[in-house]
Amino acid sequence: MNKKVLLIILLAAYSGLSQEASEMIDRQGSINFFSYTSVENIKAKNNQVFSNINAVTGEIAVSILMRAFVFEKALMEEHFNESYIESDLYPRAKFEGEILDFNPSMTGRETKKIRGVFTLHGREKEIEFKAAVEKKKNKYIISGDLELTVKDYDIKIRPILSPNIAETITADFNFEYVPYEN
Amino acid sequence: MKINQLYILGVFALIFGGMQGQESLLSKLEKEQEIPSYEVLETFKGTYLSIGHSVETQKKGILEVSSMNRFWNKPIETSQSFVADKWNARVGLSYAFTDRFTFGAGYGTGYKSVDAYAKYRLFIQQNNGRKSPLSVTLLQTAVHRDKSKYDGGGPLDFSEKIAFTTQVLIARKITPNFSLQIAPTYIYRGEESLIPNESLNRYAVGFGGRYRIGGHVSVVSEYYYVFNEVDFMETYGPFSLGVNWELSDLLLQFKLTNARHFTEDKFIAKTANNFNTRDGNFHFGFHATYVIHFKKR
Repeated sequence: MNKKVLLIILLAAYSGLSQEASEMIDRQGSINFFSYTSVENIKAKNNQVFSNINAVTGEIAVSILMRAFVFEKALMEEHFNESYIESDLYPRAKFEGEILDFNPSMTGRETKKIRGVFTLHGREKEIEFKAAVEKKKNKYIISGDLELTVKDYDIKIRPILSPNIAETITADFNFEYVPYEN
Repeated sequence: MKINQLYILGVFALIFGGMQGQESLLSKLEKEQEIPSYEVLETFKGTYLSIGHSVETQKKGILEVSSMNRFWNKPIETSQSFVADKWNARVGLSYAFTDRFTFGAGYGTGYKSVDAYAKYRLFIQQNNGRKSPLSVTLLQTAVHRDKSKYDGGGPLDFSEKIAFTTQVLIARKITPNFSLQIAPTYIYRGEESLIPNESLNRYAVGFGGRYRIGGHVSVVSEYYYVFNEVDFMETYGPFSLGVNWELSDLLLQFKLTNARHFTEDKFIAKTANNFNTRDGNFHFGFHATYVIHFKKR
């Protein structure tokens, strides 16, 4: 009897632990986005993106600070934060979803679909995109790109400036996940 | 008894273990990635609020080219001029040597005035309260006017042609759309030495505000109160009501005002007409400011 109870305790403790151990994080993930039009090319990069995954279930989350995007021109950065993204009101963008058909025992590199809810400028939208998932020793690397439609997130671009800003923005991302340190 | 206790402990451990797993990945991230305190952007849209300077300076490596214009009519019924009788203008250049320090210079059509200013951002408001709740910018201007004596007795001495203005610009962005500025001002005008017993020093305070009504459009207003107005002529505090409209790299500022001059010492201390819509008092102002990025990051 005693042993059985001990086993339950151990199992319970382990289930908690294993869940912890299966979670991995990247605190220096990068996201770049581009808007190409014939009038103006706009580029921005952010190397302070936080993302974590559950390497058993394939769940994934991303948290992006809008003020951490760096633009070529200082004025673009101001307009991005003040007029379009309103980073005072919506300081971060978030993604919460899962890697579809995730195989926890994978090795090497696989192309997977990721589906989830992306929240930008306070508006939620379900998105799905492809990404390369790679396992290297005890690291996971997830990278790829996706397109976002500006309209979906209620970002207002005045008609006079619409030739300067693309309707769909291309974003690429690169994350390297390591186990949470204890 | 003992077994029961152990069993309860086990159940607790299970629940606890389960709970740990239940915290979503995203909430974990958000807990860890705190939002840092940032410098507040765009307390005002331009480096000029409306008629006077704002706390804003441009970021390092930006050259500002500005054209400032005022139009007004003479208070004569018989005027045959098209659109406006009189026009006053200033063209200016300013360069941001650092994110905090800007140097500017300008040329004005009134008395061929040449002016220069240095502007330094002492404090920049942080969006996370405690660190710095206000923006404070120091402004020092100097101007030289090519003027002659009032009675036609030849040009003024150099010391009479120059004037200085020192301002401490203090502002706060109260909401994303609403900002206020207060500006204690000290003015020295050499020209006043022509008037017997007139002080060369003026003390004033400026009040300004902007309210953003759209993504790129804001309504601005400014008023200066002079504590010791000159005695030998009637002067009024300059007032302005205007709209700032930002078009990418171009800022357009439209205003209705009683001030017809561009340099601080003159329009604060020597605005000779009140604000109303009568000819001679009513001035329409139009500023266009274009920014050029010399340093790309």
